[in-house]
Amino acid sequence: MIMAKHIPTLSRSLGVILLLTLIPACASDLQTKVSGHLNGLSKHQTVAILPVEASNVGHKEMANMFRQGLYANLKQSKFNLLEKYIIDGLLKQNHLNDPGSFLNINPMQFGEILGADAIVFSRINKVERSYLIVHSSIELSVSVQMVDTRTGEILWRAEQTEHDFSGIGKIPTGITTALFAPIQFVTNKFNLSKMTSKMVDKLTALVKKPENAQKETQFENTVISKNATTDLKKIEEVQQLKAEWDEKLVTGKGTQISSSQKSQNETQNKKKNLSPPLLIGKIQSEVPLKANVRKVVTVETEMGPHLNTPKTNNVEAIIPIPLSTYNATLAIQPPIDAQKSEEKIKLSESTNNSLKLTFFTVQVGAYKKKTYAQTLLNKLLKKGYKAFLVREGTYKVQVDKFKNLQDAQQLARHILEKEKIKNFVTHAG
Amino acid sequence: MNNRRVYSFIKLFLALSTFILTGCGTVDLEIRQTNTNTAMQPRSVAILPFTLEEPVHEKVSPNDLFRTCFYNYFSFLGYIDVPLEVIDLKLSKAGLTENKKILEMSPEKLREILGVDAVIRGRVLSANNFTGGIHAETSIKAKIDMLDLRTGDVLWETEHKESTYSGILSPTIVEIIQDQIDNVKVHQAYFKTAEIFSISLMKEIPDPADKWTEKIRLPKITKIETNLKPNLKLKPNDRIYVNLEGDPGLAGSFGIGSWKSSIPLKEIVPGLYTGSYTIKSSDDVSSSLIVGTLKNKNGLTGKKFYKDGMAQFDSPSTN
Repeated sequence: MIMAKHIPTLSRSLGVILLLTLIPACASDLQTKVSGHLNGLSKHQTVAILPVEASNVGHKEMANMFRQGLYANLKQSKFNLLEKYIIDGLLKQNHLNDPGSFLNINPMQFGEILGADAIVFSRINKVERSYLIVHSSIELSVSVQMVDTRTGEILWRAEQTEHDFSGIGKIPTGITTALFAPIQFVTNKFNLSKMTSKMVDKLTALVKKPENAQKETQFENTVISKNATTDLKKIEEVQQLKAEWDEKLVTGKGTQISSSQKSQNETQNKKKNLSPPLLIGKIQSEVPLKANVRKVVTVETEMGPHLNTPKTNNVEAIIPIPLSTYNATLAIQPPIDAQKSEEKIKLSESTNNSLKLTFFTVQVGAYKKKTYAQTLLNKLLKKGYKAFLVREGTYKVQVDKFKNLQDAQQLARHILEKEKIKNFVTHAG
Repeated sequence: MNNRRVYSFIKLFLALSTFILTGCGTVDLEIRQTNTNTAMQPRSVAILPFTLEEPVHEKVSPNDLFRTCFYNYFSFLGYIDVPLEVIDLKLSKAGLTENKKILEMSPEKLREILGVDAVIRGRVLSANNFTGGIHAETSIKAKIDMLDLRTGDVLWETEHKESTYSGILSPTIVEIIQDQIDNVKVHQAYFKTAEIFSISLMKEIPDPADKWTEKIRLPKITKIETNLKPNLKLKPNDRIYVNLEGDPGLAGSFGIGSWKSSIPLKEIVPGLYTGSYTIKSSDDVSSSLIVGTLKNKNGLTGKKFYKDGMAQFDSPSTN
């Protein structure tokens, strides 16, 4: 009778206990943030999931399992995934075998090595299994970061901890199970695999559908990864120095442009609306880096046929620096100091002809003053290079002529390596 | 007293069986043909639509779910796997829409339609999802094999049943309740079971990844040039020109940071690509690097950044 009185209280308590045990049974702590630009990734962009860093050797199996899970889950996302064996093969070829060092490498470098638009770094922070007779638990902790290799922007960052246990707290169905279940829970690899799979499922939910991201799961500002920031700064500094150097030593402001202008006028003399060009070297005040909301757009072809100048009505249209492709079409003066008369003849014969008849040469310098050009020319001639001078607005120092582009490229690399002179391959007149 | 002992023994046996059962995830995969010659290893593989031998009552297709799940995991291995939608499109264009008929097709015909070295065929023999009382179970039993379309040989095959079970044998009450809740979501339950099946199977399928490591080669870009200069602000109608030198005969394009991508480049002489982009008044971007791209027919991409100048637009907001 007394027992009957307590039945409702007992069942209520049991219910509360059950609820309480259900809640912490599989504790999960997920902190994830995405960038608005993650939405910009489409099937045109490729993402590479790098090998997972494991803080100790025992975590390697978990690291592989986690990477496999990430791969399988993100296969359903909007972007294209670079095949795992391609990533591993290319990393191996580049001697990048330690996932622990990946975060020290500029994402841009990964972009060039793997040909990927974004990369996913991940690390297993913790795999902890504990056992205490009637209680056992597994705790997993991971960190993930997706970085855009083109900008260094962090597109996704997440930290997740998953915890599960077996024991009295889960109300065993009998004494035997109370003793065996905790042992089975920590020793069976299947449980770890199940937990990993569950973890990755939760972790990737937002990346698969970034459009569902709430405000609190979005980065407030554009976040650039540390290594990318450092390297971008360096690039900007080098560019600045180069600009100053160019101004003082090499082609004076506008000289190169004027040659391009001339080139364009010559090749596109039919164009009526060609306006005076804006000088590329015209330095303007530096634009502060700001985080604009940008969207990746696949652009329809902008380019007209190769030989046509872009039609523009704008007075400040940019004329490109002499690019080999455009020079190839020009009727330029033959070299004034060419080494081979035969080639001179061929050169003049090929003037105004189609691309197929032109030669390739390596241009090592362009100077406003002939004396500077002559100095470089003499230096190269002394070293046995078949260098010559071309007057085309500026005095251009060029080396050798080839029918074959590859031969010219080979010489260009040789000059860069041996003489440390920056150069480019262009079409000889 | 004897009854008690028998009862205890049965309980212990059941508990142990449960642990053994839940621990079983090993797939018995039989390798029928081993190609020692690397050249004979299948490179490209298509996963054909899976069939379902016994229809299920639920409004889900366990065979389709399993195929998708299997594909997601199979992609991790070192094969060139054709996307499922591409396979389905090719089959449908060939007038093949019935899964069972597709599996019965001759290797020659399949090769002609799909253009791959091998196919994976899956037959879901039974699929079951049941939740009632304290019993919850989802299972998938399937027969899967890889058929070499060049030789007509079955390279490996397996028949396996994967079950997620919860009931009287489960060790804790909390797990029983949790499993019941999970099992009611039929779609997820099937997917979860298919996932466990796939993970177990992937451990057994031969992975040729290591064989290709040294052979992987991305399209090479030796040089990229643009007309960008440091500190130059671009205005509407200004044009960014890009020249790229690299491997000949590929699809060239360039991008402006992540802001614009796939702007086409035209190959004017073998190995020399050129293109341009005209800035529009609505364009707005700050300090973006130009990245040149060459893509081969296998979709592999080579990239190179132009580091001597950045694209900075002189938008009204920056003035």
